[in-house]
Amino acid sequence: MNHKKYLKLTLFSFAIISAGIFITGCSGDKKDDGAHEEDVIDTNKDNIVSVNGELFSIPSPLQTSILLKNSGANYSKDLLNVTSKLPGYSTEYKKALNLGVYGADLGYVIIYGQTQDALGYLNASKKLAEDINVSGAFDANLMKRFEKNMSNNDSLLSIFTSAYRATDSYLKNNDRNAVSGMVITGGWVESLYFTLNILKKDFKNKQTVIQRVGEQKNTLDHVIKLLTPFYQNPDMTELTELTDALLELYHDFEDIEMKYTFVKPTTDVANKITTINSTTEVKITDEQLNNISEKLNGIRQMIIN
Amino acid sequence: MIRKFTIAFALIVALVSFSKKASAQCDTVTNACMRHMTNKYISDGQHYRALLLDKEIAEFQSTFYGGTTYRIAVCSGLGDGNLVFRIFDKERNLLFDNSEQKNSPYWDFKFVSTLDCTIEAQIIPGKAPSGCAVMMVSFKQ
Repeated sequence: MNHKKYLKLTLFSFAIISAGIFITGCSGDKKDDGAHEEDVIDTNKDNIVSVNGELFSIPSPLQTSILLKNSGANYSKDLLNVTSKLPGYSTEYKKALNLGVYGADLGYVIIYGQTQDALGYLNASKKLAEDINVSGAFDANLMKRFEKNMSNNDSLLSIFTSAYRATDSYLKNNDRNAVSGMVITGGWVESLYFTLNILKKDFKNKQTVIQRVGEQKNTLDHVIKLLTPFYQNPDMTELTELTDALLELYHDFEDIEMKYTFVKPTTDVANKITTINSTTEVKITDEQLNNISEKLNGIRQMIIN
Repeated sequence: MIRKFTIAFALIVALVSFSKKASAQCDTVTNACMRHMTNKYISDGQHYRALLLDKEIAEFQSTFYGGTTYRIAVCSGLGDGNLVFRIFDKERNLLFDNSEQKNSPYWDFKFVSTLDCTIEAQIIPGKAPSGCAVMMVSFKQ
């Protein structure tokens, strides 16, 4: 669906629900963080409910870091967000987005085995999580386990992803879906940022990485839809500006060609595994790549500065 | 007017207490579901849950990257096999249905190419009461 229409539809649904609440005399002056809007059920599909009030999931930024490493790209610390910027993040909006940014950076650092940098990003993530009142996800036990396993990348990955999953779980259980969406968005922007900028350097398997950029078309669509329920919320004007910038970015993704071919899957019952054989072919031009890179750099600046 | 207000107030109280109870129930289901995620798999860092009543179907959309093996686990209640889950591609071709695999609570998927998919989950009538359904997505490095 066209994004502008989607936004309008969501706002229209919200207006109808608000009117209903007003008519039945249930309105209150409690500050609305926009979370209620997510509970709208698609009446065209009677029995379908959205998972967690949101219909979309965003692939982990870690997967992009793994791809970069496997493609032969060198470690580029200069592309990560420096932790010295931490004291400048004073609002919940900035803290949540940069919790996602530092999470993506931490994953990148661990994948490349640069453990000397990992602790700084873990501490930055912990501080931001505490500042936005996420309790328990980065507790003393986790920090101790992380330090103890510094030489074991697999353990570090497991510890760090469980902390981010606990953060997401805590936020969703406490109806803070806007904050959860911001953390996820920050992580997505950061991983696409370092992917696009690493492409400017030389390494052996560039084409796979270029294809991955094109594959973000659908993910960006999901990111926008994740933030849509909070669009034009008067308490979240910065988030509205960010959503507008992401919509602008989507225009550059819109013309990327994606050709899908269905092929029947094959299942190995004994090993409980199904191979999904269908294919997606992505065609992205240098011009599209440059335009995306330019806009994405601007969005990342909005987030980290 | 007072009657309307009383009904509205009672509804709000009921909703708040239901929401708190549901949250705790989801945490319990999540912890039980974790056993299907072995050390070989890395969590995608997100938490998916839905409160399902009667014949409701939870639906979510995701992109799965080519060359990656994923594990998807779907749980409700404390036991296994209470849910049916199906995966469709963007043209609504059925890619997987766990009811053909004895309602297995988890399954692995190797994606040859990157795909946009829809996952649907539904509580099997009579197997488990209405309640929290949790889905977990993880991948192999």
